[in-house]
Amino acid sequence: MTGAQFLFYALGLATVMGGLGVVLSRNVVHSALALLLSLIAVAGIYVLLYAEFLALVQVLIYGGAIVILLLFVLMLTRSGESPLVLDNPQKPVALVVSLLFMAIAIVSFFLTRWKLAQAPRGVDFSVLGGSLFQDWVLPFEVASLVLLVALMGAIIIARESPQ
Amino acid sequence: MTLPELPYLTIIIFLPVVGALAVVLQQTTAPGRAIKLTAALFSFLPLVLSFILFLAFDSRTTGLQFVEKYPWIPRLGVNYFLAVDGLSLPLVLLTALLGFLAILASWKISLRIKEYFAWLLLLETGVLGVFASLDFLLFFLFWEVELVPMYMLISIWGSGRKVYSATKFVIYTLTGSAFMLVGLLALYFSTGTFDLVEMSQHPIPATVLPATAIFFLIFFAFAVKLPVFPLHTWLPDAHTDAPTAVSVILAGVLLKMGGYAMIRINLGLFPEVISTYAPLLATLGVVNVLYGAAVTLLQQDLKRMIAYSSISHMGYVLLGISALNPVGLTGAALQMFTHGTITGLLFLLVGLVYDKAHTRQIPELGGLSHRMPVIGIVFVVAGLASLGLPTMSGFVAEMLVFLGTFPVWNVATVLAAFGIVLTAGYMLWMLQRSFFGPLNPRHASLADADALERIPLFSLVGVIVIIGVYPAVMTNVIATAIPQLLNRLGG
Amino acid sequence: MTFEDAYRLSPELILGFFAILIVLLDLGVRRKGWLAALTLVGLGASAAWTAVLTAGGWQGTALGDTLAVDNFSLFFKFLFLGAAALVVLASTGYSIRFARFQGEYYALVLTSAAGMMLMASGRELITLYISLELTSLSLYALAGFLKDPRSNEASLKYLLLGAISSAVLLYGMALLLGLTGETHLDAIANALGRMPGANYPVLFLGIIFIVTGFGFKIAAVPFQMWVPDVYEGSPTPVTAYLSVASKAAGFAITLRVFTLALGGPREAADWSLIFAILAVASMTLGNILAIPQANIKRMLGYSSIAQAGYLMVGLATLSDLGRSGIIFFLASYAFTNLGAFIAVIAISHRIDSDLISDYAGMAHRSPLLAGALTFCLISLVGIPPTAGFIAKVYLFNAAVQQGLAWLVIIAVVNSVISAYYYLGVVKAMFMGTPLSLERVTAVRPALAALAVATVGVLVVGILPEPLISIAQAVGRSLIP
Repeated sequence: MTGAQFLFYALGLATVMGGLGVVLSRNVVHSALALLLSLIAVAGIYVLLYAEFLALVQVLIYGGAIVILLLFVLMLTRSGESPLVLDNPQKPVALVVSLLFMAIAIVSFFLTRWKLAQAPRGVDFSVLGGSLFQDWVLPFEVASLVLLVALMGAIIIARESPQ
Repeated sequence: MTLPELPYLTIIIFLPVVGALAVVLQQTTAPGRAIKLTAALFSFLPLVLSFILFLAFDSRTTGLQFVEKYPWIPRLGVNYFLAVDGLSLPLVLLTALLGFLAILASWKISLRIKEYFAWLLLLETGVLGVFASLDFLLFFLFWEVELVPMYMLISIWGSGRKVYSATKFVIYTLTGSAFMLVGLLALYFSTGTFDLVEMSQHPIPATVLPATAIFFLIFFAFAVKLPVFPLHTWLPDAHTDAPTAVSVILAGVLLKMGGYAMIRINLGLFPEVISTYAPLLATLGVVNVLYGAAVTLLQQDLKRMIAYSSISHMGYVLLGISALNPVGLTGAALQMFTHGTITGLLFLLVGLVYDKAHTRQIPELGGLSHRMPVIGIVFVVAGLASLGLPTMSGFVAEMLVFLGTFPVWNVATVLAAFGIVLTAGYMLWMLQRSFFGPLNPRHASLADADALERIPLFSLVGVIVIIGVYPAVMTNVIATAIPQLLNRLGG
Repeated sequence: MTFEDAYRLSPELILGFFAILIVLLDLGVRRKGWLAALTLVGLGASAAWTAVLTAGGWQGTALGDTLAVDNFSLFFKFLFLGAAALVVLASTGYSIRFARFQGEYYALVLTSAAGMMLMASGRELITLYISLELTSLSLYALAGFLKDPRSNEASLKYLLLGAISSAVLLYGMALLLGLTGETHLDAIANALGRMPGANYPVLFLGIIFIVTGFGFKIAAVPFQMWVPDVYEGSPTPVTAYLSVASKAAGFAITLRVFTLALGGPREAADWSLIFAILAVASMTLGNILAIPQANIKRMLGYSSIAQAGYLMVGLATLSDLGRSGIIFFLASYAFTNLGAFIAVIAISHRIDSDLISDYAGMAHRSPLLAGALTFCLISLVGIPPTAGFIAKVYLFNAAVQQGLAWLVIIAVVNSVISAYYYLGVVKAMFMGTPLSLERVTAVRPALAALAVATVGVLVVGILPEPLISIAQAVGRSLIP
């Protein structure tokens, strides 16, 4: 096992553990912190894939902004005082389904001959920018509209009705 | 007689729709009389026109007449194809006649008049369209159009468990037509056309479904409509709970849609299949005749009784078809026409009795002819016609059916003939108990039919007697359709 | 982005522009009716531009091959714009319930329409995914506009289940990308053609995930669990919009992705079978569960699941005729279901109840609305002379042509079951005793929308030829 492979599996394990922590923790704040672990580990995987820019963005936005915002929300709404997460009676079913799915996925993934990328050792930022604003301009611009809509939706749902 | 070139069938079929629109668009303050006169006018015109067609029909040639054929949905191969032959023309005439008489019989309706007459007129359009269409999809369209008016008419203006009966009627018919739709799409796939005439030229090749399967999918829909035992259970409910005029239409023409379609489609398109299964048809026919008659004997409700007698009489149609020879088919076609007039008349009479005596229970009647001699006499005439007394149309039709079937299915014919005896039994017994004997004191102050009520009664009696005395009026016309229907059977 | 690109994207750009304009004007405008009018202007301008693209021979691809302007996408653009316009018209009386959020309401209708139009036009997975998100987010917010507990529940439930389904969809798309290294649909198809057989299990997994994601949008069983609550809790115009436009968008994207990227014989055989099974499940479950419903919105929700089932029969056919059948069915379904919902919006708004039992005697209180609703329900059953009848005949014909007689038999039996609950509403309206004698009326714009929808149902039912020829041209344009 090469060092890169070892790192990959370690980061993958961290991602999964973080995800499990989010779902299984009974304390909301703990869940938020577990989410941070998961997101940072994903950023590590991006680094392994030579996608430094993406890793940077991942840490800044997901690791930094979003989780911090989440913690602020928890703090300001004082939900930290009642950290109880309601239990879900469907947990055993979910476990069985997830394990089953995992088994199927692992078997079929190992059977597959994946198309390997010709690893581009690092991408120039200007190339990235050019591609984003030329080839991918449509999804990029639509994404901005999505953000606007999400903002409006959040305001509408959050604001108290005048009655 | 030559007529100027006009799309007569289109006019006949769609005049009632125009009438329905004219009724609906009248002001809410319009008096009931204006609405009724409009409705009467728009059902009288189709009657006149179809009578003219009947006179102008050339019975020296075989085949279709008054053909109208235009592409309608070319990309689906659907044509607007209307025409009549000797099989359908009598039924068009019958529908127009009963449609008009039904409007007259509804003159005393007072509840939601506008809606009532609009639905009644729409119903007439649907039925007329079924008989005149020779494109299978157009036929199917008209077949379905009749559902909603029937549903409304029974469930709003009916009596008893009216909503239940109306729903049952719709669900039964829709189930049948669902299977018909599969059958007709499979036919379209096999033959590449919806044109019934074209389809009947060659044996149906087996592609997506074997011809036998298509035959039975389609037969099922018609069997529900006719109705064939054991698919008949909607009929007594619907007939009993429907208002009088609707019962007249239902028994008079709607059942004939089933019989007509069996001849036109099951026989016309699948002669090979039907000759294999003719014993089955004959058996079903005999069961219908005997079962219907036996159950009729047990009925106490006058209307229910007539309803069950219809099941019995429709058995003769099935039997006549199963003979697969010209005589039997002529008998079946004539039976449809005469049964339409006779049962229509019987339902009109029951409606009148119920209007006046407020009961349909036979034990609660008795001696009515003392108070209502006209109704009594016409009832006797209708009853005798129904049991097949010579000089009445019923006799001719049933006689032809027996003559046609006896050489082919002698046992079945003998059994079915026994149905006549049962019919005589229940008819005469019912007449005896309701109209003769001592007058039930409850009904001491009943009035007889008034002038308006007599028009439908006498006109139907006239038709019944004319055909009974001189059946050639009808049989000559019907005969022109037979050779084409049987030519692939080598007959 | 060249001039041609902008030209081809303009229908969507116009909608985005008007959405922002409306939100801004909302701050100053007192009479909110102007906002509705402005929304209609925006929709009209977009439709006009779409017409220019159609007539002017501007078909082609744009923006780095991410956007297709072909007959298929143009048809759906007209469909979404028309549905949105009818919904806006139908909202005019109703929108006072949105209090101070009316501007946002109209803006979100526009952005979701833009999203749907992109869903029908995208020919690249990332674009398609983000368009789907634009549509969905707008709709999540719209579902919560009443701000009462039911509406909140609708919005939240829709959001959560929607997020899960898009995650699954994204996973499926990622598998496709991993297998082929491509996100453009035609490039995926090329790469899959050369793919070794050993990779098939993963591809199959991806197909299932994508079916799941799209199945959520078209409300197919077993991805339908959000439907009853969301349909019941959302503002009724939004429910109408969901049931028609959102479902049509789901079918547009499904048609495009599956026929273009996954149209190879082996894949197609598998997913057509999947859709056939989903069709049976959706028709049967939708119709059976619709029967006991007392709330008309819930009932129409289950009915829309059943209608999705009929539509999926078309997906199972894998033929040109089947695809054009879906398109024809969607257009007639749009007229029919919008007509039914517009009548329901008017009646329910007036009597302040969605219970079918409260519709009793509506034929007396409003012959026009009750008559139109009845006509549309008849079309949903598939009884002539309505669009629904022709649509079913056309679609089922396509299935029989492909030897799917068994599927058609299940479908027609289901149509019979559906008659029972549709007629239940008719029964209440025509035979029930009215709870009060007060007349029920609707505002003029809503009546105009109702007239458009019901006349559409009638015209398509009697003269279907023009729409059939359009549907066939549209269906053919899907495969280059």
